[in-house]
Amino acid sequence: MDESPLLDRHFLEKLERLTIHWGKSFPGLVGGHNPSRFAGGGQEFLDHRQFHQGDDLRSVNWRAYMRLDKMFLKMFQIEPRVPVRILLDTSLSMAAGDGSKFSYARKLAASLIYVGLVRHDMISVYPFASHLKEGKKTGGGRQRFTSTMDYFQALKPGGVTDFVGMVREVITTFTQRGLIILISDFLDDAGVEKGLQYLGDFGHELFLIQLWNEEDRTPPWTGELELEDGETNQIVKLQFDDEARVRYTKAFDEHCEVVRQLAFRTGGKYAGVSTAQPIEDVIFGSLVRSRGVA
Amino acid sequence: MFFVNLGLGQFVAIFGAISAISVVLYLLDRSRRRVVVSTLKFWVAAEQPTAVVRRKHISQPFSLFLQLLSMLLLLLAIAQLRIGSQANQTRQHVLIIETSAWMNARSSGRKTLMDSARDRARAYVNALPASDQVMLVRADSLATPATAFESNHAKVLAAITATVPGSTSLNVHQALNFARQMQANTGQYGEVVFVGSGRVSEADAAEASDMKNLRVLAVTDPIENTGLRKIGIKRSNTNPEAWDIYVSAKNYGSRSKQVTLTLTLGGLPAGSQRLDLPAGTEKEATFAYRTRAAGVLQARLTPGDAFPDDDRASIELPPLATLPVVVYSNDPELLRPFFAANPQVTAVFKPTAQYVNTDKGLVVLDRFLPPSRPTADSMWIDPPSNNSPIPIKQRVQKPEGVRWDSDNALGAGLRTRDVHIDSTSVFNTAPGDIKVAEIDAGPIIVARPGAVKTLAFGFHPALTSMRYELATPLLFANSLRWFAPDVFRSKELSTQPVGTVNVALDSGVDPAALRVVREDGTPVPFTVEGKSLHFYSGAPGVVRVVNGDHESIYSLSLPEMGDTKWKAPAGAKKGLPSFRENIQSVHDTWRIFAILGGLGLLIEWILYGRLERVMVRARNLLRWPAGLRKAS
Repeated sequence: MDESPLLDRHFLEKLERLTIHWGKSFPGLVGGHNPSRFAGGGQEFLDHRQFHQGDDLRSVNWRAYMRLDKMFLKMFQIEPRVPVRILLDTSLSMAAGDGSKFSYARKLAASLIYVGLVRHDMISVYPFASHLKEGKKTGGGRQRFTSTMDYFQALKPGGVTDFVGMVREVITTFTQRGLIILISDFLDDAGVEKGLQYLGDFGHELFLIQLWNEEDRTPPWTGELELEDGETNQIVKLQFDDEARVRYTKAFDEHCEVVRQLAFRTGGKYAGVSTAQPIEDVIFGSLVRSRGVA
Repeated sequence: MFFVNLGLGQFVAIFGAISAISVVLYLLDRSRRRVVVSTLKFWVAAEQPTAVVRRKHISQPFSLFLQLLSMLLLLLAIAQLRIGSQANQTRQHVLIIETSAWMNARSSGRKTLMDSARDRARAYVNALPASDQVMLVRADSLATPATAFESNHAKVLAAITATVPGSTSLNVHQALNFARQMQANTGQYGEVVFVGSGRVSEADAAEASDMKNLRVLAVTDPIENTGLRKIGIKRSNTNPEAWDIYVSAKNYGSRSKQVTLTLTLGGLPAGSQRLDLPAGTEKEATFAYRTRAAGVLQARLTPGDAFPDDDRASIELPPLATLPVVVYSNDPELLRPFFAANPQVTAVFKPTAQYVNTDKGLVVLDRFLPPSRPTADSMWIDPPSNNSPIPIKQRVQKPEGVRWDSDNALGAGLRTRDVHIDSTSVFNTAPGDIKVAEIDAGPIIVARPGAVKTLAFGFHPALTSMRYELATPLLFANSLRWFAPDVFRSKELSTQPVGTVNVALDSGVDPAALRVVREDGTPVPFTVEGKSLHFYSGAPGVVRVVNGDHESIYSLSLPEMGDTKWKAPAGAKKGLPSFRENIQSVHDTWRIFAILGGLGLLIEWILYGRLERVMVRARNLLRWPAGLRKAS
C-alpha cells in the first residue's frame, strides 16, 4: 500500500475555493453556508405571514401594521449546519487488482473532507463493507485535517460488500438526515439498488461517486482465464475473447447506468470516476459538473 | 542454395531453438491465467463458455504460424540465403594487369594499350560483387602485387589508375604462378584474370599453362612495329681512334617494311643505311666512325610507328683516353718507336738537362739520375748505381737465362729466353716489389706498386738484341698498361633492352675480380654460370661490367620486347564476367526476407497483439453511453 502523503499542500490550496453542495433542505444547527427553505433566526429575509398568538413580537413588521392595520410577521431564512457523511467502501473488491480503487477512494474522501473543513461543515467519514466500521467525525477548520489524514493512512481494506446491511445500519445510526456521499465501486453480488433506495427514501440526499479501474470495465486478458472473486474467493474458469469483452463492457456500463438512474431518482447526484483520471481533474471536472461541489 | 553467414546445421539449430522458445512463450501466453477480479457478475453476464479442463487444440494457431514464419524469414535474412551454387560465394580474385613496355604502344588515336587495359580492368572490378576481394598484380618481367586482397574496390580502382607501363617484357607464366600461389595461401578461390596484350618471349609462349580459373581480358594490338633491338660499339681493332658500330633492328609486324637507320653523334650525322625488313625478321647494320671525342651516339629508325620507344636509342661514347709521357733522354731515338706507335700515348722527349720533377703522367728516365725524384709515376731505364730508386745489388756481364714472370700483367706474353744482354744491373727488391724478369743473380726488371708507381729496368732494351724481338714492344705495352690501366682498358659499349643481360666471359676469369656497377657506383647483383655472367636491371640505366683490363658498358635504354603472342589455354574464359548481376540479385534477398519477416510480426501484433486490445478499449469508450459520459 502506498505510504506517501495522500494529498499534497499545493492540491489542498486549490481545494479551498470549493464548497460541498446539497439540494435538499434539512433541519440543522444555524451557522452553515447552504440556505434552507426552513424559516428561522437567520439574517436573510424570507417572507411574511399572518401574526399568530405566541409569535415573537420582535419579528412583527410594525411599518406594515401602521399602514395596513394588520400584523404581519417577518420570516428569515436559516442557514443550517447540515451533517455531511462520507460512506467509504473498504471492501476487498476495492483492493482487487492493483488496489488503485481503494487508494483513489481514500484520496477522494480526504479531499472532500478538507473542502468541508474549510467551510466549517459538520463532516464525518465511515468506512464500510458488510457493515459500518468505526468512523471519524471532524470539523472546526482546516487545522483539524492532519488527524483525518492519519486516519485515512491507517485505513485498510477488508470485508465483503453488503449494501443492504450497511444501509440498515446507517438508517438506524444516523437519525438526523443529511448529505451522504457514497464512494464505492457499487459491486455487490446481491445488488445495490435496494439499499440505495432505502437510503434515499429515508430522506438523505445521496451523492454517489462510483469508482472503477480500467480492468473492471475493459478486462485486458484473453484466452483461458481462472477468475477469482476478490471478496468471496469464488473461482470461475472460462474462455474470454474479444466478443466476450464487448459483452462484459456492455454489462458493466448497464450496471453504471442503473446506479446513476437510482441516484437521480432519489434526488441525488452521481459521478462516475475512472481511476485512470487524475484526481484533480475529477474534483474540478466530474464532481463540479455533477454539482456535488461548487 | 547455401547460406553465407551460417552453415545449414547452424541454421537449423538456431531456428529450432528460436521456434522452441516461441512455442513455449506462445503456450505460456495462451495458458490459463489466474486473475483476481472485483466481481464475477459481469463475467458471468458475458455468457462465456466454461473452459475445458485440458486443452485439446492450440488456440489462435495462425498467430503461432505467423510468429514462426516471421522468425524463419528473419533468420534467413541474417543467414543471407543465396540461391545458386556455392561457387557464387565471396571469392578472392587476382587481377593481373600487364605493364610490359609494349603496353606503351598507341593502338588508336592517343589511346595506348595501357589505357585500354586499365579500362578493361576497371570494367572487371566494377562487374564484381561488392563482397568479392581483388588483388591487383602488375606484371612485366616480374610480378609485383599492387594491392592485397581488397574488398574495398575503390582502392583497387585507384591502383589500376596508377598503373603505368614498365620497360621490360611480359613474363606471363611467372605472373600466373604468383597468382596461383596467392590464392592457394588464402584458400578462397576466385578467378585469375589477365588483362593485357600478352606479348611474350618465345620461351614464355611455349610454356604450357593449365590454370582452370583463368579469365583473359585481351587488349587487341594489331599494331605494326619496327624497332631497334641492340646497338653494339667497340674500338676498332685496327684503328683505336675508330669505333665499330653494330645496330640491329627487327620488324615485329606482319608486313615487310623499309626503314632508314640514321646515326648521329652529338647531333651531327654519323651514318645512315636503308634496311629492308621482312615480317618477323631482324637485320644488323654495321658502321665505322672515327673520332677521339666523346659524345652521345643516337640511332633512329624512320619512319616512326605507334610504338616510338624502340625507334630510337642513344649511348654515350667515351673520349679516347691518352697517357702523357715525358721521356728524359739524351738519346731519344732509341725509345721513340716504343711510345710513338701507340695512339693512346702522348710522348714528349726532352734532354736530361731540362728535367723538372713536376711532370704529370709518366716520366721515363733513360740512364739518368735526376737531382730530385719525379712526383709522378716513373720508368727508370738502366739507372746509375748510386741512388737508384730500387737499390742495385750488382752489375752482371753477359747474363743468361732471363726468366719472365708470366703470371703478372707486366710479364704477360713474354717468353723470350734467349735474350742477349751485354750487361745488366741486378736489383735488391723490397717486400711487395714485382720481379718482372730475373736471372740467376737476381731480378733485373722490378716494378714497385704504390701511390707512385716505379718500374726499373736493369738494362736498356733498345741497346740489346731485344730491340728486334717482339718482347720489347710487348714489355713496354704491358708497362704502360700497368702504369695507366684505365687508359688502356678496352671498352665495349652496347645498348640493349632492359631486363636480364647475359655477358660472355673469357675462360679462367676469376669471379671475385668481376665488378658490375651502375653509373653511380652502386653494385648490381650478378651470377656467373660457366662462361656467362647474368645480371638483371628492371629500370633503364647504365651498367658497367669490369673484368680486369676489359670493360663492357651496357646502356639499358631500349624497351624489352616480346617476340610472340601468348596463347591463353583453351579452357580460359574470355571477356567480362556476367555473374555480378546474378549475385547482386541474390544479395537483395536478405532485404526481402527481412521485410517479410518484419511484416509478418507486425501483422501478428495487429491481429493478436496489444493493438487489438487498445482498439477494443477505444471501441468500448466510444460505445459508452452519452448520458453516462456527460454525468461522469
